[in-house]
Amino acid sequence: MKNPTLRALAAVAILGLGASLAACSSGSSGDAADSVRGESDYSGPEVDITFWNGWTGGAAPKLVPKLVAEFNDSHPNITVKSNAMEWADISQKMPLAIKAGKGPDVAVGHGDDVATYAAQGLLLKTDDVVDALGYAATDFPDGLMEAGQFDGSQYGVPWSVTPLGLYINKDVLRTAGLDPETAPTDQKSYLAALDALKAAGIQGEWADGYVFTGTFEFQSLLWQFGGDLFNDDVTEATFNSEAGVEALTWMTDLIENGYSPANVAQDGNINALIGGQTAFNWNGVWQTTNEALQSTDWTAIPVPQIGTEKAVWSSSTHWMFPANKNGDPDKSAAAATFVKWMNDNSADWASTGELPAQNSVREDPALLANYPALAPFLEQLEYAHYETVSPGITSAMAAVTTGVNEAMLGKKSPKDALDDAAKKATALLKQNKAQYGG
Amino acid sequence: MADSTTALVNRTRSRGGTRPRAAAAGRRSVTAYLFLAPFLIIFAVFVLFPAVYGAWISLHVWNPLIDNRPFVGLQNFIDLFTPDSLTFEDFWESMRATGIFVVGSVPLLLAIPLLVATLLNRKIKGGTVFRAVFFAPYVLGVAVISVLWRYLLDPQLGAVNAVLGLLGLPSDTPWTVDVPWAWISLIGITVWWTLGLNTVILLAGLKGINPDLYEAASLDGAGGWQKFTHVTLPGLRPVMTFVVTITLLSSANMFGQSYLITQGAPGTQTRTAIMYIADQGLGQNQMGAATAMSYVLFAILAAVSVLNFRLQRDNTK
Amino acid sequence: MSSLVTTTIPQNRLPRSRRRAPNALTYAALFIISFIIVVPLLWMLLTSFKTDFDAINAPASPIPNPFTTEAYSTLATGNLPILRWFANSLIAATAQTAIILVTASAAAYALARLDFWGKKFVFGLIIATLLVPGVIFLIPNYLIVDQLGWLDTLWAIIVPGSAGAFGVFFLRQFFISLPSEIEEAARIDGAGDLRIFLQIILPLSRPALATLAVLSFLANWNDFIWPIYVLLSPENLTLQPGLSVLQGTYSTHFGIVMAGAVIASVPVLILFTLAQKQIVESVATSGVKG
Repeated sequence: MKNPTLRALAAVAILGLGASLAACSSGSSGDAADSVRGESDYSGPEVDITFWNGWTGGAAPKLVPKLVAEFNDSHPNITVKSNAMEWADISQKMPLAIKAGKGPDVAVGHGDDVATYAAQGLLLKTDDVVDALGYAATDFPDGLMEAGQFDGSQYGVPWSVTPLGLYINKDVLRTAGLDPETAPTDQKSYLAALDALKAAGIQGEWADGYVFTGTFEFQSLLWQFGGDLFNDDVTEATFNSEAGVEALTWMTDLIENGYSPANVAQDGNINALIGGQTAFNWNGVWQTTNEALQSTDWTAIPVPQIGTEKAVWSSSTHWMFPANKNGDPDKSAAAATFVKWMNDNSADWASTGELPAQNSVREDPALLANYPALAPFLEQLEYAHYETVSPGITSAMAAVTTGVNEAMLGKKSPKDALDDAAKKATALLKQNKAQYGG
Repeated sequence: MADSTTALVNRTRSRGGTRPRAAAAGRRSVTAYLFLAPFLIIFAVFVLFPAVYGAWISLHVWNPLIDNRPFVGLQNFIDLFTPDSLTFEDFWESMRATGIFVVGSVPLLLAIPLLVATLLNRKIKGGTVFRAVFFAPYVLGVAVISVLWRYLLDPQLGAVNAVLGLLGLPSDTPWTVDVPWAWISLIGITVWWTLGLNTVILLAGLKGINPDLYEAASLDGAGGWQKFTHVTLPGLRPVMTFVVTITLLSSANMFGQSYLITQGAPGTQTRTAIMYIADQGLGQNQMGAATAMSYVLFAILAAVSVLNFRLQRDNTK
Repeated sequence: MSSLVTTTIPQNRLPRSRRRAPNALTYAALFIISFIIVVPLLWMLLTSFKTDFDAINAPASPIPNPFTTEAYSTLATGNLPILRWFANSLIAATAQTAIILVTASAAAYALARLDFWGKKFVFGLIIATLLVPGVIFLIPNYLIVDQLGWLDTLWAIIVPGSAGAFGVFFLRQFFISLPSEIEEAARIDGAGDLRIFLQIILPLSRPALATLAVLSFLANWNDFIWPIYVLLSPENLTLQPGLSVLQGTYSTHFGIVMAGAVIASVPVLILFTLAQKQIVESVATSGVKG
């Protein structure tokens, strides 16, 4: 471990854990069924545990097996099997799998999934695990710990955050006579750059209407213009406010004004950046590990402030412990050990293009020394917005994407697209409340 | 197949009448059911029971992850016909998508294979090789061909637009991203994929038409087109009925191409009924609504099939 | 014209003068269609040998520049067991075809040749399900398969679809068309139903059984929506949903996606080339006998 603070924390945790285990073992047997045993060093019978994650791209498919192998070697009575599948597949299959007893023993998911799974009774509580790891809410960016809570209990353990950034192809900027070192930071300079590019016959930012990345860009702009996706108690959609219309209009205007082609396909924009056909791309920190990107002269900066506030979209991932039907508490305990080990050995996790959630790991200067490309993304965390926490929120978010898609394809005006989407989203929120409460 | 079913049933009746009676029939029943048993057991568990179970589910708000599953009678069905409900717009949009695909693909999947079959029916060298080549895409499977065409038709990175650009034609057609291009792509790809299947079946049908009929028509002074309409088409009737039925059913059940090539986009416009139902039931866990939708789809398909058979029967002399 | 089994006259027995002579136009049309079918497949093969950069930058040219096998090595060291998927599909399709042949032929024999109480009812029940779209069964069968503990296993892919009405209907029609003299002679000789079924009916039905086998195999091979929902772990997937995962994983790394598609296609094409005459002819007669 590189971090002395963490080492100290771990030592305290282990000592404290030993003491609390001795004291509380009989008392906590009552909720052993719905909580994960917080052991830092699993000492039960041999178990095989499965681990589902969505790390199918970038450096992760190489790094994760390496980490898992290391863990398996150093823990003779635990064997972890890692299953990587699409994020969308996980959220589609995992709930029913858990209900059938065929779900994983530990999984990583996004911030907007935790409350939903918890409300559906699919997760084990992690209060004990969090205590064993010595985590407090202040160890993470604001609001991240709470994202993993539902109905007063903790269900997630934060793992990483993944904000957007502005990727730049420096060669393309140079052909338009722009200096890549003075990158645009606000609306005025951004538009000026786009104009210069247009004069040189280049469409500067290709905007699309897909989740990756149109919806993310829309959300960033929505917050920048002072709006929000939903009201405080998440009963109503508010993304069709003036701020929302302004945000979406800004994006459709990119097409109108010739800065972007129409009908950009999925991933069309990042691939165009790589191919030298465009200069700017709002995309996630994970693209820093895109192999094809490395062959271009690129850089990344914080997203420009187009609106009146500083804001940027970010996602977050959390560890979760599924409550499989007829689940084996030994397996869950072993999984907790795995999670702790991963957290402790996550110094290299930044190589997968995700920012470790734990403040101390992130703020360690060694991280930036090893991964300088992450600097602009780290800068933005002060004003990053994460997912809305509410059971079933993903179905309402799908409505947002439909609205963005329709506007970007020119099928509806931004106002109409957002109004229709908001109506749908509000109805879905109502259905969620009825089904899940909370 | 209605006329053939009637013919079958009639034949069964007449056969039954010449068989020995009661006692032997009773003994026979045991044997018969022994023969039927393996099939009937699987049939009962995975066909009969689910049909009833599905209907039962459709009368509830049924989320498999939540214990509370209130009985709501026909509400799920009523919602599908109530303009402001959560499912109305999406369901009928998906039905429309299925409808567009069926109307767009079935005629092509009949006309083109028929044309190709007529060509193959001539005395050509290497007919078997051609047949095999045309059939090959079908053997590859829906995922392979969908993944291939998703690439070829990618608006920015695909080969088709790139080649069109080289030829000086418009190179930015959004083949997989926007309608009506997405429909053209989906239908075109499906024709490319399955034309071999229909061709091969129709070819066999063509070969079964008695050539004397053509000779007689020629003597009557019939030209090519008249031979086609008066000899070929009537001669193909039973085979054509079969092909129409399987093509209609598989088009109405289209899922893979939409899932892999357009992902239901733009928005949800190419999301077929099957995609939507599967997503509602197994993705969003709204099983009550989803099963209700499947029954409505069934009713509509049944009505169309009955219409199809009536038309076929009326055309049979 | 409403006869179900039309006379089939083998082509080579027809007097030459009666078959339409082909002309250059015919050959041209056939070659164009072949071209349209073969070229995309070739393109798929060639693209699989491109680097990512080349695939993005030179889509108009199918010739890889440079020629590389990095797509294949990425797949080999990646986590997606494509060959395992192929094996799963092969096992599932073969097993389901076997079950269908056995159960449908026995049931069809009973319905075609035996008289028994409730015959019309049973037949009617089976026929009634012929036109029911599969989606009706999707969700209830999911729940049933879950109860049986078959989720994420090949059983879920093999058993539920093996009781289709089509097989029974198809074989029954064929059995009925068989002349009954041989059977009657055998009965007079004292043969029981089982003997007649196994030693007379089945051997006579080889073409129909072959047709049903090929159609059933292809149907299971192509099954996409059901496996997507009931198979969960990557190593238990069959080929079609597996390729969907492949596409999702590698998205626009088209060289890799094409390489995966090639790996999925080559064994199939080899099998097809070896057995194509049999396969195509079996399928061809399905319409005639159906």
